[in-house]
Amino acid sequence: MIQYLASHGPGLIHWLILSNVLFAIGIYGLLSRRNAIGILMAVELMLNSAAMNAVVFNRFLAPKSVDGEILALFVIAVAAAEAVVALAIFVALFRDRSSIDVNRMDSMKG
Amino acid sequence: MIEQAMATVLFYGFAAAAMVLALAVTISCNLLRAAVCLMGVLSIQAAFYILLAADFLAGVQVLVYVGGIVVVIAFVVTLTRSSQLLMDHPSPLRMLLAIAVAAGFAGVSIAALWMSAFHQPGMAHSTMDSTRAIGMALLDTGGSGYVLPFEVISVLLLAAMIGGIVIARKTPPPDQPFTSGGDRPGEADAALPKSQRPLRDRRAPQ
Repeated sequence: MIQYLASHGPGLIHWLILSNVLFAIGIYGLLSRRNAIGILMAVELMLNSAAMNAVVFNRFLAPKSVDGEILALFVIAVAAAEAVVALAIFVALFRDRSSIDVNRMDSMKG
Repeated sequence: MIEQAMATVLFYGFAAAAMVLALAVTISCNLLRAAVCLMGVLSIQAAFYILLAADFLAGVQVLVYVGGIVVVIAFVVTLTRSSQLLMDHPSPLRMLLAIAVAAGFAGVSIAALWMSAFHQPGMAHSTMDSTRAIGMALLDTGGSGYVLPFEVISVLLLAAMIGGIVIARKTPPPDQPFTSGGDRPGEADAALPKSQRPLRDRRAPQ
């Protein structure tokens, strides 16, 4: 049993499939949510799985360098900046029209 | 041997938990509950980083995501009363389209991954300290260093911080000077000297 488990550890393809599935779940949330904060959460999920992809490639394809980890670090920093600005916009929007339903934000529709 | 077996068990356990929690994030009608599930997903992601021998990244993940972003998201969910005002039920057509797009993406990309051959060097059992290597690379001014992006990202964070404050701040009506008074209409006026208060609020002279 233990031998079986030890010899069937997760390989590159397993990690990549995992992060792909998480990304697809993020896409589902992005497209099906109506509340802007729900969309932001889905975007965070997608950013996270993409960052994990970078780390996985770093670990399996170039274990000597840390470039993928640094890329993930930058992704995390940019995600933080993006979340701050997006949430500030949501607060301002809510103050302006008492709702953050993206279906009702159509004033720039042609 | 036993360590590798444990890593396998942990990987599949965490993977299942991450998928379930991610689905809960996208499906849950109550956004506050979704935020808590998002916190769970991000913590599990930190565990994945540890399994991938990226210890420093796991720490950053917990500090920035779990401790920072999710808390801010929870604050904004309550500030905008999203969990009460907008119960998020997608219409069936929209749900179907979203499922189709997500499944299509997953199918195509997993098929592409399955068919591509990666050139994997032998897994160096790296017990090397990756934190030290990251620190050296971030401050390395040489050709393979990251000192310029590192500085640029600090400027970006500063800009985002200022932008967030400016956007979320209460802006006064055009005829009224800005004060740092309060959030309600009366408070902002009260912080001004008497001669500068807007006309409609000034008391009639005795």
